[in-house]
Amino acid sequence: MSTLGLLRTLFNPKIVTPNAIQLQSLNRTPFLVGLFFNHDQIRTMSRVKRRTTHPPYWHVLKNNQRTDEKISSDNLRFVQEVIQDKYKNKSPIKGSDLDIEKTEWDPKTKRSGVIARNIGVQHMWEKDGKKVICTVLHVLDNHVIRYVPPEEYAKSVIGAKMFKNRKPLGCLVVGAEASNPERFTRQYCSLFDEVGLLPKKRLARFIVTPNAALPPCTPLTAGHFVIGQAVDVYGKTIDYGFQGVVKRWGFKGGPASHGTTKFHRRGGTIGTGRDKARVWPGQKMPGHMGSERRFNRGLKIVRINMKYNIIYVKGTVPGPTNSIVQIFDTALPRRKFTEAPPHPTYFPPEDGTLPQEDIWDSSLHVFGSPSISV
Amino acid sequence: MLRRAVLQTFRQGLAQSFFKRYAVSLTETTVTHQPIETSDEAGEKSVPTQKTGDESGNTVVVAPPEFRFIYPEFLPDPAMERRNRLREKLERMDMLQRRSVIEIPEFYTGSIMAVTVADANSPNKFARFVGICIQRGGSGLRAWFILRNVVDKQGVEILYEMYCPLIQKIEVLRLERRLDESLLYLRDALPEYSTFPMDMEPERRLNNSVVPINPLKVKLRPRPWLERWERQNLQGVEDLNLPQRFYDRAEKVAKPWEKYDLMLHYRKTIPAEEQEKIFAEVHSQLQQQELKRKLRRRRGSDNEY
Repeated sequence: MSTLGLLRTLFNPKIVTPNAIQLQSLNRTPFLVGLFFNHDQIRTMSRVKRRTTHPPYWHVLKNNQRTDEKISSDNLRFVQEVIQDKYKNKSPIKGSDLDIEKTEWDPKTKRSGVIARNIGVQHMWEKDGKKVICTVLHVLDNHVIRYVPPEEYAKSVIGAKMFKNRKPLGCLVVGAEASNPERFTRQYCSLFDEVGLLPKKRLARFIVTPNAALPPCTPLTAGHFVIGQAVDVYGKTIDYGFQGVVKRWGFKGGPASHGTTKFHRRGGTIGTGRDKARVWPGQKMPGHMGSERRFNRGLKIVRINMKYNIIYVKGTVPGPTNSIVQIFDTALPRRKFTEAPPHPTYFPPEDGTLPQEDIWDSSLHVFGSPSISV
Repeated sequence: MLRRAVLQTFRQGLAQSFFKRYAVSLTETTVTHQPIETSDEAGEKSVPTQKTGDESGNTVVVAPPEFRFIYPEFLPDPAMERRNRLREKLERMDMLQRRSVIEIPEFYTGSIMAVTVADANSPNKFARFVGICIQRGGSGLRAWFILRNVVDKQGVEILYEMYCPLIQKIEVLRLERRLDESLLYLRDALPEYSTFPMDMEPERRLNNSVVPINPLKVKLRPRPWLERWERQNLQGVEDLNLPQRFYDRAEKVAKPWEKYDLMLHYRKTIPAEEQEKIFAEVHSQLQQQELKRKLRRRRGSDNEY
């Protein structure tokens, strides 16, 4: 055994990944291991428990559990009247009405994100005739529910974990898709009582720097983003259900013919007889596939429709059609903003002029313009 | 053909319950007089809410029934998982914008067409191809058609995307239909059935109201073929003259019950009420575009004299 080999085993670099579990046994010293075995394998668990089907314990019960309530039609009408009275006064909020301190944008600012629905895919063409697949994202009726300042957020369960050894940032709770209060529980509706909004079907938290804080009831629209900017989109991937090893992990399976007996889409061997003499944790096997949190980063915004609150994003987005996604300014360092975006968010102009309805990126071919000639 | 017959049976009220469900889901009726404006309805409306003529309720625009054959790509893909009314509406607006720039004429499978495309590699920077349309498909901006021709004894097929901005001109040289919806069997037919001269002149029709059906029966080359044509119930092909075992096997594999499967056809088509809504939306703009083109043609012919 060479001295280099011994030295290598002594100075074992430990590669720690978030989901890694090191399977080195602590009894054997590296020196002894180097003598008898020429390796020290670190296996990471490819799959730890990644999803829970229940919400966190601090969430209130959301959906109305009562079914088949026999209420008379008079009482039903009364309930509707009460709801109308409670949520009657809703006027569109102008930028001047809200008391936002004029804060400066700097490159380290983290702005709020936006909740949108992925409504499908549309093909568009660039100015040189190249076809581009664009995902159409419909920015729902987003309203800021509350702002949690950094000191307070750092005390919460998730905040403490996130900002353990870092400077804490604030948290903006944004809601989207207002719907009938009757389908929610009283506790869930009370989350929106302070703001006086119709309860929203979907809530999300966005981590923001204090200078990008927004007061409650601020609407967020498609104008929050800038044409040509890069965004990150978070969504839950398509749920494929229980899938076999060929679709889930890309195994090749076995031959389709030539006398193969019952071995067409199976996994085959799951371990050797020698090392560890058992199945390693993380062994790829059939199981549930999909419905996982994913971020698609660096997607370019190529078109914004201000009238319908639509963003066209170049590329695809995790999740099926008609699923809810969250859009953030990108985290990729080389594609961040160089100029100030609408900070802290976009407000329509005070003098009542309507914004330009359809804004296109300069690289795209606008449909109403003449055909391309190369 | 089958689609029209099936739609008529729907109209006769065979499956009215399905359409009632559709109609109810689009207009959410609540118990109150003023329904709460939830975001499901708000999504369809624009940010400064504008009332269109249809919503005021007095006049109902109905497009002519031929629209579903002249403009089939305006109907969305029937697969329910990927449908979204707002996105389809935006796509239709983009399609109308493109149609305002270039004329995409009425054509069917079996029509002979010429397409001029911008091509960087050609000497004139434009490439013109003449061929017979053997298949058309896709919906929305993805609509496509395939043209086939035989050039220097080599069969050539080109797939064109109808709304691609590289296309400069689409002309229909001969507007007619064939006995089948898909003419893929021309690949296995004798080459003279797919050969058309590249400098073919557009033919003028005497009777503009009816699109003629060409009852041509095509002769196929001897086997082997690309597909099992005897299993596809083709009308436009001459007798295949195959041994009886082919037809016996075709009978075993056939699914004769599919023509009675109402749910299958329902899932493959857009309901008649929704078709009417869609075409009513685009009807006025399409008519305006047609009128403008007619005026331009008339002015052009006047300028000649």
